[in-house]
This record gives sequence, C-alpha cells and structure tokens, in this order.
Amino acid sequence: MAAWLRAEGGPREAAPPRVVFRWDLDKTYLKSEFESLRGLVKISLEKAEDKVAAPGVTVLLRSLRRVAEQSGRDVRVYFLTGSPPQIAGAIERKLQMDGIVYDGIVFKDQLQQLMRGKFRHLREQVGYKVTELLKARREEPEGAREYLFGDDWESDPLAYSLYADTVAGRLSPEDLEGLLGALRVDPALVGRVRGLAAGMPRAEAVARIFINLERRTAPARLRPFGPRLVPTFNYFQTAACLFAEGMLGAADVAAVARSLRDDSDYAPARLANSLADLQRRGHIDGSAALSLRAGLREDGLLVAARTTARERFAAWGTRLLARTGGAKGPGALGRGLTRLLAPPSPPAPAPAAVVDYRALVAQQEAGE
Amino acid sequence: MPTVAVDAMGGEFAPGAAVSAVAEVSLLAGIECVLVGDAARLQPMLEECRYNPEWVRIEHAEEAIGADEDPRRAVRARRRSSLAVALRLATAGEADAVVGAGTPAAVLLTCARHLALLGGVRRPALSAVYSRTPEYAGQDPLALLLDAGAALEADADDLVRFALMGGAYAGRISGVPAPRIGLLNVGPGPQAGGEVLAEAHRRLAAVADINFVGNVQGHELLGGKADVVVTGGFAGRVAAGVIEGLAEVAGGVAAAAAQQNWRWRLGLSMLSQGFERLRGLTDYASYGGAPILGFERLFLLAHPRSSAAAIVNAVKVASRAVSEGVVEEIESALSRAV
Repeated sequence: MAAWLRAEGGPREAAPPRVVFRWDLDKTYLKSEFESLRGLVKISLEKAEDKVAAPGVTVLLRSLRRVAEQSGRDVRVYFLTGSPPQIAGAIERKLQMDGIVYDGIVFKDQLQQLMRGKFRHLREQVGYKVTELLKARREEPEGAREYLFGDDWESDPLAYSLYADTVAGRLSPEDLEGLLGALRVDPALVGRVRGLAAGMPRAEAVARIFINLERRTAPARLRPFGPRLVPTFNYFQTAACLFAEGMLGAADVAAVARSLRDDSDYAPARLANSLADLQRRGHIDGSAALSLRAGLREDGLLVAARTTARERFAAWGTRLLARTGGAKGPGALGRGLTRLLAPPSPPAPAPAAVVDYRALVAQQEAGE
Repeated sequence: MPTVAVDAMGGEFAPGAAVSAVAEVSLLAGIECVLVGDAARLQPMLEECRYNPEWVRIEHAEEAIGADEDPRRAVRARRRSSLAVALRLATAGEADAVVGAGTPAAVLLTCARHLALLGGVRRPALSAVYSRTPEYAGQDPLALLLDAGAALEADADDLVRFALMGGAYAGRISGVPAPRIGLLNVGPGPQAGGEVLAEAHRRLAAVADINFVGNVQGHELLGGKADVVVTGGFAGRVAAGVIEGLAEVAGGVAAAAAQQNWRWRLGLSMLSQGFERLRGLTDYASYGGAPILGFERLFLLAHPRSSAAAIVNAVKVASRAVSEGVVEEIESALSRAV
C-alpha cells in the first residue's frame, strides 16, 4: 500500500478534522442582564439594535471561522442558549448585524415546560444543555474537534464538562444518569440523555472549554474541572489561549486587542496585565506569550514595559524568524533563540484524569 | 489611571491581607495595583479571590523584611526585599504611590534609600491619622499628626515645613480649602514650650499659606481645634501611641468591670455607643494608612496589624492623593513659603 501511494506521488494528506465552535449566548456572547426579573423581561422585549455583544467577542468569533477556513478546515459555529425561541428574531438579526456567520442556533422551549407545569425546570440548564450537546454531536463527522464557550453565571462549566467526559467515554451513561438525577433534572430528560449517551461513539472531542468570568468567579473554584477548562476574564485572554492552541494567528489576537482598545477603552496596561495573568495561571506558555507580546507592543497595543535581556533576545529571535521564515540558517537560529530564551513557564497544571463530579454536583446543589 | 504598588509581604497578616485587598480594589476598576512579593505565594492566593486581572500586576521580590529584624541591618542586607522593589517601581515611574504595612523604621529607611526628598524638605515626616470629635458640621472626623516618629527632634524650620506639607495633604484629601494647623504644646501662650516651640509659633503665625490656630494642648488633641497638628518626632510618637492605646485600655477596663456584677454589665451595655466611638479612635481599617510626607512619591503606611479592609482604604487614599496631585501641591506650598 505504501509503495502504491509513493507511485502515485506520495501519500495524500488526510483532510484536517472538522472544527466546531459552540457558544452560549447570554453573558457569553451577549452582555445580558438576566439576574433580575426586570432584566429577563428586558431581554425578551429587546430589539437587535439594543443588544450588546461582549467586548471583543465579535472579532474573535469572525477570526476563528476565517482562520479555520483559510487553513482548509471544515468549520461550524453553533449557538446553544437557554433563552426561549420567542426572541429568535432579535438574536438572529443581532448576529447578522455583527457579521457572524453561524450554522445553527438552539433555543430552549420554555413554553413547553410551562404547559407541562414544570416550573422548576424552566431555569434548569445542565440537563437541557447536555441533551442538546449530545444530540448535536451525533451530527458531527468522526474526529470533529470542539471548542465550547460559556460563562460563570449558571452551569456551563458543569454541563460542558459532563458532555466532554461522556463523549470521551470517561463518564458512563449510568454515571451521567445518576449525576443528572442528583441535580434533579426532569426525569424524562434524564432518560433521553442516557439513551443519547449510550449510542455515542467515543471520542476525545472537546479540546477546550472557555468560561467567560463575567461574574469574576475566583478561578480556583473552577480548578476541579481540570486543565481542559480555561477561565478567562476577557476575550483577549481567550484569543491568546486560542493563539497558543494554533487556532488563531498573532494578527487575530491583535485584532481582538484593538477592538477592546477602540470600542471598550482598554488601555495597553490592562491588556498587558491580562496576558501576564493568563501566563501566571499556566494557560499559555512562556514562548507563546513572548511572541504575542513582541507583536502587540510593536502595534502599541501593549504597554512598553521594561524588558529583561532575556526578553530582548527572544524578541530579536522572533523578528529574525519572521523575516527569514526558513527552517535553516538564521530562521532556525531565530526559532531556537525564541525557544531557548523564553522565560520559564509556570508548570502546567496536572491534567485531572477524573473530574470528581459527585463533589461538583453536591456543590451546585448546595448553591455554592 | 493611578498605579499603586503594594508591598504584599509587610504586616502581620501578610501576604493574605494585601492580596485580598488588591483583589477587591481591582473589582472597582480604575486603580492599577502592583502586588510586590513572592509571586509563587501571591498567585495562588489571588486565584482564590474574585478579582479583575486587568487592574493587577505582580512584581516578584524574593525577599521580605521581617517585623522582628533589626531594620537598619535588614534594609542594608535585603536589596531585593518586597519593600525595596515596590519603592524602586515608584522611583522608575512605574508606580505613582506605594502602600505597605511594614514596620515604620524599615519603611522610613527604605524610603530614604530609594526616594528623593522634595525641594525645600530637609527631613521627611511620618504622619498619624486619628479620629477626633469634629467641632462643626462637615469637619473631617480624621485629623493628621506629624511628625509621628520619623526623627526624634525637629527645629522651628522643620515644624513650619511639616505644617506646609500636612496642610497641603489635608487640603487635598479632606477637601478643606484652608486646613487648621495647630502646634502641639504644653500651654496656650506663644512663649510656651521653650525656645524652639516659641520660635515655631512665631513663624507659623507669619506664613500666609498656613491657617495657624495656635497651640494645641494634650486635652485638645482629640477635639476639632486643628485639622493638622505639628510636633517633633518624639512627642508625636508618644501622642500617637497614647491615642492608639486609649481604646485598648478602655476596652480592658470595661471587660474587667463587666465581670464584677450585672449592674455594671447593664451600665456598660448602655454605654456601648460610646465604646464604639472610642474604638473608632484607633480603627485603622477606616482610614487605611498614614502618609509619609516629604518624598517625591507618596508612601501610605498602613498599620502592621492591618486587615484587607484597611489596605483597601489605604490604596484608595493613595490613589486619591495621586489623582489630586498631593505631592505637587506639597512641592508648590513649600516653594511658595520657604
């Protein structure tokens, strides 16, 4: 077989797997105020023009699709929201106004719950989201990699992690059923989830879960979810992480930074502090941070802080690499310098092989 | 946007109190804080708090000056102490003010080593902020006493400079256009207290920029006669110590009395408001920190037993002092009068 492939001019490269970006809407994409009844009413009556996207999120989302498409990847963008379908018109119009190309949006049918008299389940999110995520996963081709985006207001960290570990096979359908039962999810939904989970091909599908810390939840509280889950304080941090993952280029991160600066008054110091925080928390390594910093400083997007000799050498290496671009000669030297002279990264957190869902569910039920 | 460096390793509750304080300040947005200390200890503590990283920087310093160390020797030996690094940031213009809860002697020595004195200042002054009974509606319930121990002695010249610095600070921070300045003394007359104080009295009365209200005697210290009381470091340190000890003594007496019989307990509970008032005299959490005046940058010295709430207030005062241009005002007051 190998000989035949060589005769045909070498092995054909396999198409890169599909990349799927799944977004929550309120408090993740949109700056919504649903914590009060008044806020909820406002959301339902709001026109598209009144809805406000979180700083930097539109640039980030557009960039993610563009970069994936440019690299020849099949890409899908979906939204999954706990909002009712009655506001679909305004949401779709808002996304259109923001220039967001998406492939699907799922709303929660609150009316059905009301008709069934299931008032408790109106605000229940974990069962609803896990069900919809599992349903959506069945539509994806084998090997599709997913990036999930949520926030710290309700239960995105738990719902997304349960989904990721179920698809990966670390959580059995029975365990998932037990956990959802403990969360007092609608029993009809629990049975459905179990059925969906049982028929799911096992795959390490979820690459990262990004949680927008809109409530400024202490990051340590999300540590039990393991290193797959990345809590970020703004979309510049999210973009920087995605740059380190190879999902965005440095210019795309700069575009997100620029939108924060121009539209939301982010001073260069705030961006520099955000990047340093991300690095200290171990979500981006030293060399990735260094190469981002060099470019962003040149664009005037980061504060030109004092640099160490190590950083100056590494920046020089980065510039050399950018100029030559080659793997040999000065290019290789530049790459070597960048790698060698990057400041030592904090040790990456040990991957949590098994998330202690029983403890997390108990916490959630206790309202902690 | 003011930037305040916070020495995270100074004080009895370090570094937890400083980390919690900076986390809290970061949520308010508008003040950038630089936490200076052992980064490996600070970061995990910060992550336990609700915070906004956009307003927080961490500057690593591998050393710290302990409360039980000889300050002179420790300041000389620990060039990379959190205190020294915080002050270096101020010198380099990376921080506009510094807040710390280290021991006053170590702080003063480190300030003297790293910060330049303002033109016209011969020696810096350590202040004490204390609660007093206002004399009229709208008067600031806090007063400033300086020098509270930076140097043991002061001549008439120093006392005039302290008055100018204290007046400029109180004017900007309390918003009083012409703060009342008093001279701590043993009697009311212009000749009281000996040659130095008599000379100081004469000169304070002669400076147009100073709203001099005459001598302030011990029993008047906690009243509203003066917003700023100037004195030499020895007397100032004693006075500040007495004020600090007042609530403690009263609390001890009350506790002992309460154990005697139920009538006393009842009486004391009726006086609880008064005890609260007395406790307010030394509640350093409410005012945060006392300024060290005379340097090119402001240092807000928080009490060594400061809680996070006290450090939050100190950072807020430091930020306000920067926004209000306190150092520039002091410099200008000195250049006008000296």
